[in-house]
Amino acid sequence: MNRWSRKAALATSMVASAVLVASCGAGGRSESSSSDGAAAENVPGVTDTSVKIGAHFPLTGVAAPGYSEIPSGAKAYFDYVNSKGGIHGRKIEYIVKDDGYVPTNTTQAVNELVQKEQVFAIVGGLGTPTHSAVVDFLNSEKVPDLFVSSGSIKWGDKPSERPMTFGWQPDYEIEGKIIGKYIKEKMPNAKIGLYLQDDDLGADGAKGLKQFVGDQVVKEVKYTPGNTDVAPQIAALQASKADLVVGFNVPSYTALSQLTALKLNYKPKWFYTNVGSDPKLVGSLLAKFSKGAVKDGNSALDGIMTTEYIPGVDSADDPWVKLWTKVWDEQGKDGELTNYRVYGMSQAYAFVSALQASGKNLTREGIVKAIEDGGAKWKGPNKLPFRYSKDSHLGISGVEVVEIKKGIGEPLQDPMVTDLGDAEIKPDSGTAEQAPNESGLPDDIKGAE
Amino acid sequence: MQQLITTLLNGLTMGMVYAAFALALVLIWRSTRIVNFAQAPMAMVTTYIAMVLIEGGLNYWLAFILALLSGFVLGAFVERVIVRPVEGKSDINAVILTLGLFIVLHALAALVFGSDYKSFPAPFGVRGITVGGHSLAITPFGIFTIVAVIVVMLLLLLLFQKTDVGLQMRASAFNPEVARLLGVKVSSMLTLGWALAALVGSLSGLLIAGGNLVHPGYMDSVVVFGFVAAVLGGLDSPLGAVVGGLIMGIALSLVSGYLGSGLVSLAALLILVAVLLVKPGGLFSHASERKV
Repeated sequence: MNRWSRKAALATSMVASAVLVASCGAGGRSESSSSDGAAAENVPGVTDTSVKIGAHFPLTGVAAPGYSEIPSGAKAYFDYVNSKGGIHGRKIEYIVKDDGYVPTNTTQAVNELVQKEQVFAIVGGLGTPTHSAVVDFLNSEKVPDLFVSSGSIKWGDKPSERPMTFGWQPDYEIEGKIIGKYIKEKMPNAKIGLYLQDDDLGADGAKGLKQFVGDQVVKEVKYTPGNTDVAPQIAALQASKADLVVGFNVPSYTALSQLTALKLNYKPKWFYTNVGSDPKLVGSLLAKFSKGAVKDGNSALDGIMTTEYIPGVDSADDPWVKLWTKVWDEQGKDGELTNYRVYGMSQAYAFVSALQASGKNLTREGIVKAIEDGGAKWKGPNKLPFRYSKDSHLGISGVEVVEIKKGIGEPLQDPMVTDLGDAEIKPDSGTAEQAPNESGLPDDIKGAE
Repeated sequence: MQQLITTLLNGLTMGMVYAAFALALVLIWRSTRIVNFAQAPMAMVTTYIAMVLIEGGLNYWLAFILALLSGFVLGAFVERVIVRPVEGKSDINAVILTLGLFIVLHALAALVFGSDYKSFPAPFGVRGITVGGHSLAITPFGIFTIVAVIVVMLLLLLLFQKTDVGLQMRASAFNPEVARLLGVKVSSMLTLGWALAALVGSLSGLLIAGGNLVHPGYMDSVVVFGFVAAVLGGLDSPLGAVVGGLIMGIALSLVSGYLGSGLVSLAALLILVAVLLVKPGGLFSHASERKV
């Protein structure tokens, strides 16, 4: 009885808000065709003094460690921007909903953000399975779906199908390609075992890698997220005599693979995707087991290879990290600055750049066009430029191969850029070495009034 | 060959954990004719208690024993306070109640302990044992797991077959009214059954956690595999539960290693269906004598 009435209430409110949204949408269309002066009154989430955006993150659940810190970093940077007066006079209001990394929850969270909260855009929604549940809804509602926190290629490879969606981090396929080329050049005799998460992360990564070293792969195993017993998988790798294991997996499974390898006395060289290699997080999981078997915290992953695409907290001298430290000191809440918070801030910086580039008259179509037109040339903490254009909504164009020493990634070669498919891999020509502005805000391209 | 041995040894240790869990299910079934689905989160809660105690600086084994005792108390509490009101009514009421309890305990644990992955320390170190230059994929803790479950099974067998309390427990489960007429305190026996079961369930939780990562949902797959193991053994026989657990552990480890980890849950359900089709009473059942 109770549940019925609740369901009925929910249905009624959803119909009501759908009607509301429809009428707002209609208003917006007629407005944008008629005038250019008055600041977009009918754009959802936008007023003269504020812009409201939303995001979905796993704040609880098995994917929460690490990932739940990302929005706190983004929030700190938005607050920092607000303390400087906002962008074009608008302060950023940032609403984060918890989806627990469960796609059905994501659907509900994003529905609430779009229909109840009336956000202007979704920024940084995290996860391949979770975001896949809402990407079509956002595109059909014409809500900008910016800078998805996932490296799946589907956020940007076909902008005609998903015109409102943009990726942000390097996709798994180009990361796989750059790792593959590095192995082919530097370790041509390695026998490669692949340790893959059984979804886009593993599939896209392996696809890119095999373009270069398909003939060196001796074994490929997949684990199912949620099942923490990976001994059968690691045993299969050990039996194949693989001496270099490349993992496209999440951090907890990096810890599990290291633990299991200890148990099986298996000692290959390890190479993990940047997604799964945060030395602090994995180190803290492994440290508890120490008793001499695993070294303490930060050095637990020593000698392991991985990739980077933004400077992390360990590069204290980097001008961007100095900016993030300042932002976190001024606006941060509990806890210290971590790589996940740096990720959130770097992503927030990209959104603020997009707001800046959209000019005073902010519309949903306008911000998409601004990213397509100028995004590839934006200055930012990313070591390599974005690939944004009319034909591609993919994010950062490459990675840098590093080896972890005492918890810090030391570059093994110059940062490389490439693109999907057969695109050539080449060293980047000088987008790095950019420092942030004194103010800590992106350049004002169109000029604030 | 190495891979086969590793996979089998891994299956053996996992199987023993399933066996302990199946034993817990069998115990409650024997004393109350209820399948307790809340067994998994109950074990998870006691594992977290052990972890908090160990992180607080308590001796590992002391924390281990305290966690088992808290499992005993939790089991008695659940029977007295939560299950008691629906006892004697349709069996399905109690089963649905345990499912509800499953969800409640999950949510509570996430609130109290957080839902991150946490590492649960192992008492013996986490390296595999080396024998004559060959490393075996079994840790000292794995051996402890095997020994602990066998000892518990033998103790339970002794309790049920050789002691008065065991006889009274069996009598109360088999026919409460006649047992009461004969002077057995049936309600105390039911409470004892739940408490013992929760203790054994806690043991399985602690054994799977040792040297591994835990989070509030880490026992969820064990409840499925342990249930299949219990049905495999006939739901009534402690020996059957252990054999069923071993079969499940080894079969699933082989499936995961040679066919793919995505097929593990499917394989478990196929085994369940096959057992129910071929020998509905389970491999160790003597159900025919009970059907009156």
